[in-house]
Amino acid sequence: MNKPAARFAVTVLVLMALFPAGCQQDAGPEIEDHRPLDDGTIVAIGDSLTEGYEVAPEEAYPAELERKLRRQGYSYRVINAGISGETSSGVLSRIQWTLKLKPDIVILVTGANDGLRGIDPQLTATNIDAIVRQLKARNITVIVGGMQMVRNLGKDYTGAFARIYPAVAQKRGVILIPFFLAGVAGNPQLNQADGIHPTAEGYRVIVANIFPYVVEALKEHQAKIKKN
Amino acid sequence: MLHVHFILRQISRSRKQAAIFVLGAALAIVTLVGVNGFATSIHRALLKDARTLHGADIIIRSNHEFSRALSNALARLAQTGAVAGARIWEFYSVVRTEDDQASLLAHLKVVEPGYPFFGKVKLRSRRDFARVLIGGQIVVAPEVLSRLRLKLGDRLHVGGARLTIADVVLQEPDRPTNFFSLGPRIFIAAADLQRLDLVHKGSRVRYIHLLKVDNPRHLNRLAHELEAAAEPGVERVTTFKTAESRLKRFFDNFLFFLSLIGIFTLLLAGIGIQSALNAFLREKEQTIAIMKTVGATGSFFTRHYVVVLVALGLSGTIIGLLGGYLLQVIMGLLLGDFLPENVKLIITGPEILRSLGLGVVVVAMFSFLPLYRLRDLKPISIFRKELVPPPKGLVYYLIAAALFLFFTGLVFWQVRAIRPGLYFVLGVTLLILVTAVLAEFVLRLLKRLRLPSLVLRQALKGLFRPRNATRSILIALTASLAAIFSIYLLECNLDAAFIKSYPPDAPNLFFLDIQPSQHLEFTQALGMDAEYYPIVQGKILAVKGERIDARRERQRRGDNLGRTFYLTYRNHLLQDEVIVQGQQLFRPDWDERQVSVMDTVAEIKDMGIGDRITFKIQGIALEVRIASIRTRTRESLRPFFYFVFPEDTLREAPQTIFTAVRVATPAIPALQTTITKKFPNISVIDVTATIATFARILKRLSRVIRFFTLFSIVAGVLIILSSISATRWARIREAVYYKILGAKAAFVKKVFALENLFLGATSAVLALLLSQTGSWLICRSVFHIPYRPFVYASLLLVLATVLLVLLVGLITSLAILRGKPDSFLREQTQE
Amino acid sequence: MNMIEARQMTKTYTIGDRQICVLDKVSLAVPAGEFLVVKGSSGSGKTTLLSLLSGLDKPTAGRVFLEDQDITDTKEDDLAPLRNGLIGFVFQSFHLVPSLTALENVMFPAELAHDPHAREKAHHLLKRVGLQGRADNFPHQLSGGEKQRAAMCRALINHPKIIFADEPTGNLDSANGRAVLELLLEFHRERQTTLVLVTHNEEIAKVADRMVVLLDGRMDHGG
Repeated sequence: MNKPAARFAVTVLVLMALFPAGCQQDAGPEIEDHRPLDDGTIVAIGDSLTEGYEVAPEEAYPAELERKLRRQGYSYRVINAGISGETSSGVLSRIQWTLKLKPDIVILVTGANDGLRGIDPQLTATNIDAIVRQLKARNITVIVGGMQMVRNLGKDYTGAFARIYPAVAQKRGVILIPFFLAGVAGNPQLNQADGIHPTAEGYRVIVANIFPYVVEALKEHQAKIKKN
Repeated sequence: MLHVHFILRQISRSRKQAAIFVLGAALAIVTLVGVNGFATSIHRALLKDARTLHGADIIIRSNHEFSRALSNALARLAQTGAVAGARIWEFYSVVRTEDDQASLLAHLKVVEPGYPFFGKVKLRSRRDFARVLIGGQIVVAPEVLSRLRLKLGDRLHVGGARLTIADVVLQEPDRPTNFFSLGPRIFIAAADLQRLDLVHKGSRVRYIHLLKVDNPRHLNRLAHELEAAAEPGVERVTTFKTAESRLKRFFDNFLFFLSLIGIFTLLLAGIGIQSALNAFLREKEQTIAIMKTVGATGSFFTRHYVVVLVALGLSGTIIGLLGGYLLQVIMGLLLGDFLPENVKLIITGPEILRSLGLGVVVVAMFSFLPLYRLRDLKPISIFRKELVPPPKGLVYYLIAAALFLFFTGLVFWQVRAIRPGLYFVLGVTLLILVTAVLAEFVLRLLKRLRLPSLVLRQALKGLFRPRNATRSILIALTASLAAIFSIYLLECNLDAAFIKSYPPDAPNLFFLDIQPSQHLEFTQALGMDAEYYPIVQGKILAVKGERIDARRERQRRGDNLGRTFYLTYRNHLLQDEVIVQGQQLFRPDWDERQVSVMDTVAEIKDMGIGDRITFKIQGIALEVRIASIRTRTRESLRPFFYFVFPEDTLREAPQTIFTAVRVATPAIPALQTTITKKFPNISVIDVTATIATFARILKRLSRVIRFFTLFSIVAGVLIILSSISATRWARIREAVYYKILGAKAAFVKKVFALENLFLGATSAVLALLLSQTGSWLICRSVFHIPYRPFVYASLLLVLATVLLVLLVGLITSLAILRGKPDSFLREQTQE
Repeated sequence: MNMIEARQMTKTYTIGDRQICVLDKVSLAVPAGEFLVVKGSSGSGKTTLLSLLSGLDKPTAGRVFLEDQDITDTKEDDLAPLRNGLIGFVFQSFHLVPSLTALENVMFPAELAHDPHAREKAHHLLKRVGLQGRADNFPHQLSGGEKQRAAMCRALINHPKIIFADEPTGNLDSANGRAVLELLLEFHRERQTTLVLVTHNEEIAKVADRMVVLLDGRMDHGG
């Protein structure tokens, strides 16, 4: 039950995945069923912010986004492809696996774990750029979620980090959410006790924030379909 | 009225028995005092250690600035002087050299004066931490210097401030509480906090408030008071006693072990005193019978013998106390370096009083019952040496109940907690009952044996002498041996579970987030053998066709199946794994996908071979069949996985690779630099300092444990020896008769040896059974550690016991074998 | 041939710093088949004399012979066959092995001698002394007379040439005492054993071949 070694191993692994995976995620039937809805598939790639650390799976932003899309009359399926603790290098490594989900649109929100480990922003920039390039090569509509680093790391670092996202978006011509956690980061009411992970309420704010960019992407995607 | 002359005569007439009784009591007290004295000092030392590990009495942690309610409560307490406090801010930051050429992620600890309240921050210069850490100065871990190529006196950009490196930290007392760190430590004085300009809204900071309590007795009350003010779920209030850590569990187990030894010692002491007393009273039966024939009333000798026995008990206790004191002095001299520095080997005044009272009360209580039973005895039955049917009336049972209650009280006193105390009492009662039943069973079995050899027959008959104490000796021997064996087995298991999990080659460097594409290159860069663990995150959808309801799973105490699991793949067992169900890790004869499951997780849903589990790995469902169930042979720092897949099942899944190696301390900085430069995405975690702290504490504790175990074993053996020799008089007579009837010494020797062999072997084997069961129970349900039976050591214990009993039997009968029978005959006749 | 011979036998005990002389230069010869009675008041050294003659104890000075063999310095283990086969003992306080039944007590010396017929012999003897019904009783379940009869059977089972009997009737009432003594005499006559009997019983003393009297550790030749 309370095996110390078990706890230890969990600690090691938790650390490996800086944000330990939630304890109560359920696999919703919509994830098991990969057939796209009428309009297309959105794959949310990212870390614990995407996966929804310590919140129910239907409360994490991909599920919330799908509901909001439906309410607004968009029949898109949103697949949660978040892996807690993953860095941008991890995303780059698994991008081929993720492509098996045959996304029409990808929302890429990664880099937070890079920042929390003090990884050189240059490396994160290179990784994100490579990921976007590969997605674009498959004619996938890409939204890049911008990220800012916690301020305790120092102005030099947070500055360099924040510049990554606009730079890649501009270079690759993809849609940019300026700051994925805008209005949520640093607000104790919208975050869990760890001060980092949004609550269900926080995710609703996030979805409201990013919704215009998603709609923009949907339009781009539908335009592509018409072209074909 | 007491008859003083009578009392003195009673003592002086049977000097030998009186001496044995006094020695028995003394030995019991020595042991009790020794163990209790040590336990008290070590308990104190342990608590001190635990406190040092947290640097404070009360620790409050939050990821946010403290709430107003909590801050107010803290201020209020500080004003009354009930607590002294020091605030700490802990966070990561990227620090740069003054020339901006190099940067490093460092783990900053901004501390207010007062930190640490317990223990010491050891600096390379050996200066006082508080005097070095002043505004403008910082103290850094050695890696900061080596990785940034700096020296003392250089300056470092930390946030908005430029601070001078004043010293190097070698040891941080509360280090093990934050086991892993992504970067080396930098200590900064709280005076510089503002200038750093790093703690804001949007910063990730751990706010810690350390408190030292003025009066330790108020610890829990103050902690509760603060807890009431704290915001639930956000601000966590713990004390050094309640804070969870791996060491804390060890401390708890260790303290439990100490009280266990205390109880067992009590048991041994009781057995020792009782058998010595029995021998003494048997000797006195004749006298009592004669006194009754000349008109002494029952209450006359009850009164007088209680005084005689208490006088003897008191002298035994005093001798025991002196012995205990001497023992501690001698051990203090012998073991000065061996024992932890803060363990003092001095018996305290209350301890003396306690033991004194204990000795007298135990003797009085023990003697009252047999005396009470003797008072109703018809003298003639003693003269005739008939079997005495003990008259058992209401009073007898009342006294027996009082005795039981008294010992229960003692146990509670020893354990100082209701529930464990209750378990102890029940356990010991059960132990004695089971022993009695087993002893009876074995004796009946032996009685039925028809043996061909005269020697064997005689030896066996010796066990069933009328008025013989075989049953009670067997019970006493078994119970005390069971106690000793249990102490030994528990020590071995604690050692194996905790101490040995910090072997000198335990990995101290962890590499996280190795990408599969970097695997080969990384292996070359690392340049040493290492086990690589691929990690794939996944969840469980269903077990045995039953969907896992994550919400319900979460309610489960302990581990649950609703969480994300770290899965791995490999086709071999790890060094510390064994298969408990199934033939091998995977079944070559199955076409289906397979998995091997750890026993601890299999227990949750009663999974067995052939059951199916459905995993979800990155949106893809994967049904696998359980091909084997594994367990770990020991607890260790090595990583382990609940679910292991065959390589071809998961090789393509999104994964990162993890490895841990042992690297000599001087080689760490270079390796760390090489790896981070070549693979900037790989995080390197250095736990050398933490492991060193752990290992140091555990090593000390293991010494103490071993010492304790040895001490109680030796004392226990001595008590057993004294009780065996207390019963030797019964055997002498038999030896003399054998000789008169023409038996040679060898014959008598053989009969005795065999008789002792029966006794020794029976009780040792019974004791082994009992202690194995008991230790298993304690390890699994109290210590929560895996149990190992230590088969060879156990067999050795049995063998040693048998040899010892044989040897003692032989030594006590040597005089009879060598001497002329007549002198012994006279002793018998003149009874 | 003398079955038993003592030459200038002396025994002193040390109690505290006092030396007590229990036997003082006692010499005695007992021919084979003789029935000798030893008399003397309490404390005159009768029991000590018997112990020394039978090798249960060693004299401080002087020598002891059994069948012309000097046993004074014989080792305990070499005395064992003599005690088993040559000598039989009957004591005042019986000295039955408490862990053995009456039958087992009687059998025991024969068993030590590896006699395959130990059980039958023991049964036979017990029957003879009227104890056939008590064979399986333990000593503590027997009366004094029964115990002494069992002890006698035990002394006789290996057909010893000498029987030492130390006040065998001392703990018995007169009827039982008489019965025991008669049994002893019967066996003495039947088997021609040498019988050394310590007793106060004047009647028996009259039947004896010879009587010696001990007085304060010396042989009183005048009696």
